[in-house]
Amino acid sequence: MPKKDVDLKLVAQNVGHSSRATCGACHFNGGGGDAIKHADMSRQLLTPDRNCDIHMGGYDFACAECHKTRNHKIAGKSSSVPVAEGVVSCEKCHSDTPHYSGGLLDHHLNDHSRTVACNVCHAPVFAKCKPTKTWWDWSKAGDKDREVKKDKYGQPDYNWKKGEFKWEESGVPDYTWYAGYMDRVLMGDKVDLEADVITLTDPVGSINDPESKITAFKIMKGIQAIDAEHAHVLVPQLFSADKDNTTAYWKNLDWDKAFQAGMKAVDLPYSGDVTWKETWMYWRINHEVMPADMALSCAQCHESLKGDQTCNRCHQDNREVDFKAIAQKGTDFSYMKSMGRDVDHLIEKTDYINFKALGYKGDPILHGGRFKKLPMEYKTQAD
Amino acid sequence: MMIKKIVCLVGLIPLLAGVCTARAWQATDQERARERAKEVVPFVKEYQDDCQISRRICLMDAGVSLDDVKEVYFLLDSPIIKEREDHYEPVRFAHKRHAALVNDCSKCHHFRPRDENALETTRCSACHQDSFNPDHPERIGLKAAYHQQCMECHQQEAKGPVDCTGCHLKHVPDHKELVKLPDNPDPIQVTKACLECHDTQGEDMLKTAHWLWRGPSPYTTGHRKDILHGKGTTALNNF
Repeated sequence: MPKKDVDLKLVAQNVGHSSRATCGACHFNGGGGDAIKHADMSRQLLTPDRNCDIHMGGYDFACAECHKTRNHKIAGKSSSVPVAEGVVSCEKCHSDTPHYSGGLLDHHLNDHSRTVACNVCHAPVFAKCKPTKTWWDWSKAGDKDREVKKDKYGQPDYNWKKGEFKWEESGVPDYTWYAGYMDRVLMGDKVDLEADVITLTDPVGSINDPESKITAFKIMKGIQAIDAEHAHVLVPQLFSADKDNTTAYWKNLDWDKAFQAGMKAVDLPYSGDVTWKETWMYWRINHEVMPADMALSCAQCHESLKGDQTCNRCHQDNREVDFKAIAQKGTDFSYMKSMGRDVDHLIEKTDYINFKALGYKGDPILHGGRFKKLPMEYKTQAD
Repeated sequence: MMIKKIVCLVGLIPLLAGVCTARAWQATDQERARERAKEVVPFVKEYQDDCQISRRICLMDAGVSLDDVKEVYFLLDSPIIKEREDHYEPVRFAHKRHAALVNDCSKCHHFRPRDENALETTRCSACHQDSFNPDHPERIGLKAAYHQQCMECHQQEAKGPVDCTGCHLKHVPDHKELVKLPDNPDPIQVTKACLECHDTQGEDMLKTAHWLWRGPSPYTTGHRKDILHGKGTTALNNF
């Protein structure tokens, strides 16, 4: 129910379209506060800088202009929750051939669009306007006497209710193959107690699958409680409005009681035998797309283009085209640094997306990639 | 921070209001397009009656290309249209994107001014202004020109929206008079008042994930046909 002092008549008389402020009231504050949960959404998006988000900062897009609604069902496919009532994609507006500057690169970039998700190049860092939480160790919670230190962004490293944190600003995403589906651990699902890491949301994709694209994610990492006997994730009761409550963790600081109450509420067994395990959640980077001229350059991923030899490995050209300039022009991290972003370590970086980790032998320009190997070129013939 | 707040509160006094509003945030590209949309250019009375092919040849011969597209983006929000009626929000028009897709400027820039000194291409609103101009009965108005051009092409190409809300948002009518509520109503009274007109929307809302906190999970492996997963039921997290 709304707060008592809200003039509901005034509210009702002023109804209007939804906006970044109305949607953001919840979605910018996920995980308990501004920018904590989403790597690419924060209250900065209420009045964003153009360089932070070209759609919202440059063109003043409201959420629902992309997240179209039908019968109040809002399109959008979250990484973190299973529900989807429609899908939003860059391609819906920008098409499968989104590069049309008329320059020599268009052809190559449009080829890349079949293997690389837009935001790999167009949002090369996440949390670029505000630090986001990337590590959350619940097992350390409960120490009211522990001194809270601030990191270089001014963010706290500890909260007795929640445990230990790490924050990242202008973070480099993790890149993995993704074709639109997620493996998820849902409540009550068995997890592998022997695994080093339990991945709660895990993108499905492969370098060998023509539909999969290299996609940018923030991984929310942390440590949380698992039932060692039943091998499922434990759900604690954290808070209670009831004054006499004796089970909520934030009232009583007793995990055992909190798990008993929590698991009873979700109707799952609790053995009392708790193990703390590292868990990961993949969060796709969807928002905070930067202006086109701040996309990654070819050379920022392809190390082979960093030297004197660039496009002329394959192309001869006598039109006085500056190949080097074409291959190396892109996001200027020194510019971002001058704007106060923490990107010092990214200046001059190459192999940005880590080809080997993605399953390549190395830079695909030298070692070969998917363009020729997979049946992508021949799909229409096969149909 | 506190000082800022105080300045803005005091800013309610008209004299100081300017200080606060002057610093108001603006979306740069959108604001530029909005300003441009307000312009009304002189009416082109005489045009060159070319066929589309000769127009295209002319443009090709002149070497007009994507590089000549100076305005990437327009907001279609002309006062010429709004003067007669104003039911819809402006339309976003990605000019360069369309130029690249269509790859034939003459598809939209189908005539040119007869004046030889005029540019090869001109704004829609230079030739199409108010409708039913008795001096130019052959000339359709700007609103018709936009709709005919956009919708016909979208239909032909089977691409792009052809319905009203595909391009426009509808203006929300002023609810000051429409909402009949006593002072200090309770939330239930307000909901009832909304539902008096919006009962279908109320029914719709009750079936959404935002209301139920669960719903279909077509992209979750092993649960693609399920409809019960969500934050309110089975979703887990580590934060």
